[in-house]
Amino acid sequence: MNYTVIADNLVKKFGDIVAVNGVTFKVKRSEIFGFLGPNGAGKTTTIHILSTLLKPTSGEALVDGKNVVKEPANVRKVIGIVFQDPSVDDQLTAYENLYIHGRIYGLKGKELEERIDEALKFIDLYGFKNKQVRTFSGGMRRRLEIARALIHEPKVLFLDEPTLGLDPQTRAKIWDYIRMIRREKNVTIFLTTHYMDEAEELADRIAIIDHGKIIAEGPPDELRSLAGNEVIYIKFENINGKNIPCEDDNFIEECKVLGQDSIMLKVRKASEVLPIIFEKFNSRGYKIGKIEYKRPTLNDAFLYLTGKEIREEEGNDLERLRTIVRRRWR
Amino acid sequence: MSWSDPLIVMTYRELKRFIRAKSRLIGSIINPLIWAIFFGLGWSSAFNFPQAKMIFGGFDYMTYLTPGIVMMTIFTASFISGVTVLWDKQFGFLKEVLVAPTPREPAIIGRSLGGSLTALFQGLIVLAVLAPMISNIRLFGVIPVILIGLLVGLSFSAVGITLATKMTSMEGFHIISSFIMMPTIFLSGAFYPISTMPEWMKILAYANPLTYGVDLARHYLLGTGDLGVVTDFLVLVALTVVTLTVASTVFRNASIE
Repeated sequence: MNYTVIADNLVKKFGDIVAVNGVTFKVKRSEIFGFLGPNGAGKTTTIHILSTLLKPTSGEALVDGKNVVKEPANVRKVIGIVFQDPSVDDQLTAYENLYIHGRIYGLKGKELEERIDEALKFIDLYGFKNKQVRTFSGGMRRRLEIARALIHEPKVLFLDEPTLGLDPQTRAKIWDYIRMIRREKNVTIFLTTHYMDEAEELADRIAIIDHGKIIAEGPPDELRSLAGNEVIYIKFENINGKNIPCEDDNFIEECKVLGQDSIMLKVRKASEVLPIIFEKFNSRGYKIGKIEYKRPTLNDAFLYLTGKEIREEEGNDLERLRTIVRRRWR
Repeated sequence: MSWSDPLIVMTYRELKRFIRAKSRLIGSIINPLIWAIFFGLGWSSAFNFPQAKMIFGGFDYMTYLTPGIVMMTIFTASFISGVTVLWDKQFGFLKEVLVAPTPREPAIIGRSLGGSLTALFQGLIVLAVLAPMISNIRLFGVIPVILIGLLVGLSFSAVGITLATKMTSMEGFHIISSFIMMPTIFLSGAFYPISTMPEWMKILAYANPLTYGVDLARHYLLGTGDLGVVTDFLVLVALTVVTLTVASTVFRNASIE
């Protein structure tokens, strides 16, 4: 089977609130599938349904061919999950956290010990094996959670906002590990995020979700182009009063002369047409001095689709509050 | 999947967490010791006349109080250990267990067992500190008290887990501690004999499961008590079975909704 996760018209209502409103998608084996949307769009609820923590109000979902409602036990065996909220036990050591997890998944003895060492080495925490997690930074905790989710060798790894609340360097590092997991482990990754750059960096395909509905789906490039054309600015050298050439090839949507020596071209895909444009101007004896092009971002795409921006910073307040509560109570 | 793995590992987790949280250990031992020493010794000298000693089974008040304080320690520690499921809920460990392909019943029984063992340990430390201060303690009585402490611990950590699984907020914790813990302790016969209580209070005391643990501890440590040993044991075993069943059922059906 080519698809590891299949969601068919999933609906989840909490009382009057519709958190997920008819979501349908398919995740291919071994790809990174990004679920991009603002907070409250239904991302976490979808993950909770797929990981058997919540029952959908209606609709069906299959994970590795197993129905999440009818055979949750079989689904649980093949999934690993990193929750949005921190879930490592900070009074225990890295080893103990992984050991407990392994035993809960039925692993034991030498095999478990080997897998713990392997996971800790993979995520570069082996040197901290016997350190209590409360001494760990936010990034290290996240990595430990990722290591833990991999201990039982799942076929599908769910990452719910894996870099929420982390600083830029740490985020970049976590991204490297996620890429490494994709490269080295035979696992499909389902990732939710409200960070545009994260989805762009990591995902092979992205579904944009808003108000519980998927509003667009495709590879990042394709989604970006939804926002419209890419824009190329060309500045010619030694124009000396020559006519500025405005092209009207079919791949050019619009061409405009700017001032004495520049033009602006709107095209569908600049990366493909730039060589042709070079060629053309060269053969006609025009010398290009400077060239610039702007691609629409995923944010532009989201703006185009919904008329609003993904709110980048929301969610951090909640995160901060949790940290405070955690400190006070533990 | 087997029942033993989740049971063992959840017990292991509770024990490990207990060893790590040394301040919690000190806190949970200091409180009963303050009760025993300041409350106990204070009343002990006030009740230092023959008629008073008759009320307390022929013992001075401090001696009479000690088994009650030990059971109070075990009750409090195990109950709170159960209630900490609320923390697990808040901080994700619960989801970890719920999303795992493991039967949930042994996981929660293991957690109760872990809570019970750590509570028992604290009770025994309190007993060890108090024993030299009192007379007539039966040393061999400690062996049955270990079993009694385990049953009391299992029951009340199961009660704590049940409440915590059903509770949705941290605020609930404070309400519970004042509405459940204090009355349970006062109505258990830990501080004064049930036989001298007003009738209405007696009814509450008999309905209170902790009463039977306190009575048993007093039987084995001092040789005196309000009720029969067999009744006490039957009630305690039944209590353990019922509370663990309820906790398992509630936790099996637990959802994050």
